[in-house]
Amino acid sequence: MLVPLYGFLHGDTLGLVILVQDTDKIRQVAANLQQAAAMRVAPTASAHVYAHGRRLPPDLTVAEAGLTALDRVDVVPEPEPR
Amino acid sequence: MLKRDDWLDLARKLDWDLSYVDERDAFPEDVSGTPWLPAAAWLGWDEPYRTSYTEYVATQHAKETAVHAVREAVGHIEDFRRLPRSWLSALKLHSATLPLAEFAAVIGNLRAARFGRDSAWRTMATFGALDEMRHTQIPLSIMHELVKWDRQFDWTHKFFHSNNWIAIAGRHLVDELLICSNPIEFAIGTNFVFETGFTNLQFIGLSSMARAAGDRMFETMIKSIQTDEARHAQMGHPVLRVVVEHDRAYAQRLVDKWFWRSWQFFAVVTGFAMDYLTPLEHRTQSFKEFMEEWVLGQFQDSLAEFGLDRPWYWPKFLAAIDIYHHMVYASAYTYRATTWFDFVVPGPAERQWLDAKYPGTFARVAPVWDRIGERWRTAGPELEWYVHGATPVGFCNLCQLVLSGGTPDANSAQPLVHDGRKYMFCSEPCRWIFEQEPARYAEHKDVVARILAGEMPANLLELLRSFGLGDNVWGKDVHGGRYPWLGGEGQR
Repeated sequence: MLVPLYGFLHGDTLGLVILVQDTDKIRQVAANLQQAAAMRVAPTASAHVYAHGRRLPPDLTVAEAGLTALDRVDVVPEPEPR
Repeated sequence: MLKRDDWLDLARKLDWDLSYVDERDAFPEDVSGTPWLPAAAWLGWDEPYRTSYTEYVATQHAKETAVHAVREAVGHIEDFRRLPRSWLSALKLHSATLPLAEFAAVIGNLRAARFGRDSAWRTMATFGALDEMRHTQIPLSIMHELVKWDRQFDWTHKFFHSNNWIAIAGRHLVDELLICSNPIEFAIGTNFVFETGFTNLQFIGLSSMARAAGDRMFETMIKSIQTDEARHAQMGHPVLRVVVEHDRAYAQRLVDKWFWRSWQFFAVVTGFAMDYLTPLEHRTQSFKEFMEEWVLGQFQDSLAEFGLDRPWYWPKFLAAIDIYHHMVYASAYTYRATTWFDFVVPGPAERQWLDAKYPGTFARVAPVWDRIGERWRTAGPELEWYVHGATPVGFCNLCQLVLSGGTPDANSAQPLVHDGRKYMFCSEPCRWIFEQEPARYAEHKDVVARILAGEMPANLLELLRSFGLGDNVWGKDVHGGRYPWLGGEGQR
């Protein structure tokens, strides 16, 4: 099932609405948002996802993480190693 | 012969004791506004201009003649063709947001002309309605000639009739403030807050930039309009005085609500123009400096005069002056095809200026401009879509603007569940406004809700069409990404 989420990428200037499947991994949510914002913020290899005041394990699915339509998720990219 | 002040009140203080109808029926609270007070409470209503109809007509005629004389001299296509291209974008943005909003204000004024509680107030509101009709006609008339040269000027008339996202935000503000509000809320929200509090930004700040940019037509038009605004804005003070006396908490709530909503409107419309679209050499002050000089001091003095407090969100507002319009502009740049005007990337000199004017805060947005520069460098000129977003944007369920509150590191978006429906707001004040009157706002659909309901397409190109934009109109980079400071192939 498609789940629209409000995504806020750390470093970006606006919130986006990303569509994910409830079976997608949280890791994929981060990648989708980074890709959607790529013209403003360079994507990184990995990022942490936060929702409802907690950090979500990357291997959980959207449904397992308890995310439902129009929830807010915050994505914080991990700095690339120099 | 009697002097004007000796007879004027005989002509405008025309209230009498009603005997055939109850006062509450003649002026129902639903239409006349809250608090409902007997006529005696409004007897002292007065304003400083005390204009007679004869004087009004003579003055307006002289103003119209002056505007038309300037138009004859410098209001033709060849005159606009000489203006900087980024300035033309500022002109297109203002031209679209101005005339039909002014026309909506005709309705607000006419409601006050019938349901305002004092006849002098009703007389002033009649003049106000005539003013706003003039403010509708002048920009429509001037910009109409430019349509055959540049189709983006067609949005001077088209904008408010479209479902463009900025138009949805504009209507959400204008419908409530100007078309639907009762005379008391209209006087406090429009006359006291919007007109007295903010329009100096346009009429002093922006007109000085128009002059510097060589746009004498816009400067003349906006100054001519301001002389009307300065007069009819005076309706706000005497209304607010009565409301404060009888229901201070309500007066404070209206001021808090309309100050925030007015601020957001001006941050986008005037902030873009002053800090980005006006060429650097023509900028006289930053948007923040104008806000500090022309809005903050005067507004705080006015509040003190009425014994009102600064809005509860004042620290958030002060923080927003430093960054909000930078957040929105950078976002809108990467969705420029969703608008009817063109955008410019701030180059090194502009960024140095912005850094100096916004120490510590512009730097937080600057990495986004670095990235945009990288994308243009990689793509080369004219490849607009490589530096453009395609994913749907989130919108605030109150102001209907993009979710660009706060900073890049801490977006201030605020969720709320109301009657089982999820809402998202760009900021705490927007959520607070919604929570004060949820019935007023709950059913409104933002762009995202329309997309999810299948009423608008999610695909960007189809969405642009539903906004009424074709490729000959939608916003582009003013220079097509061709900036010498980017270096690299094709950038000279």
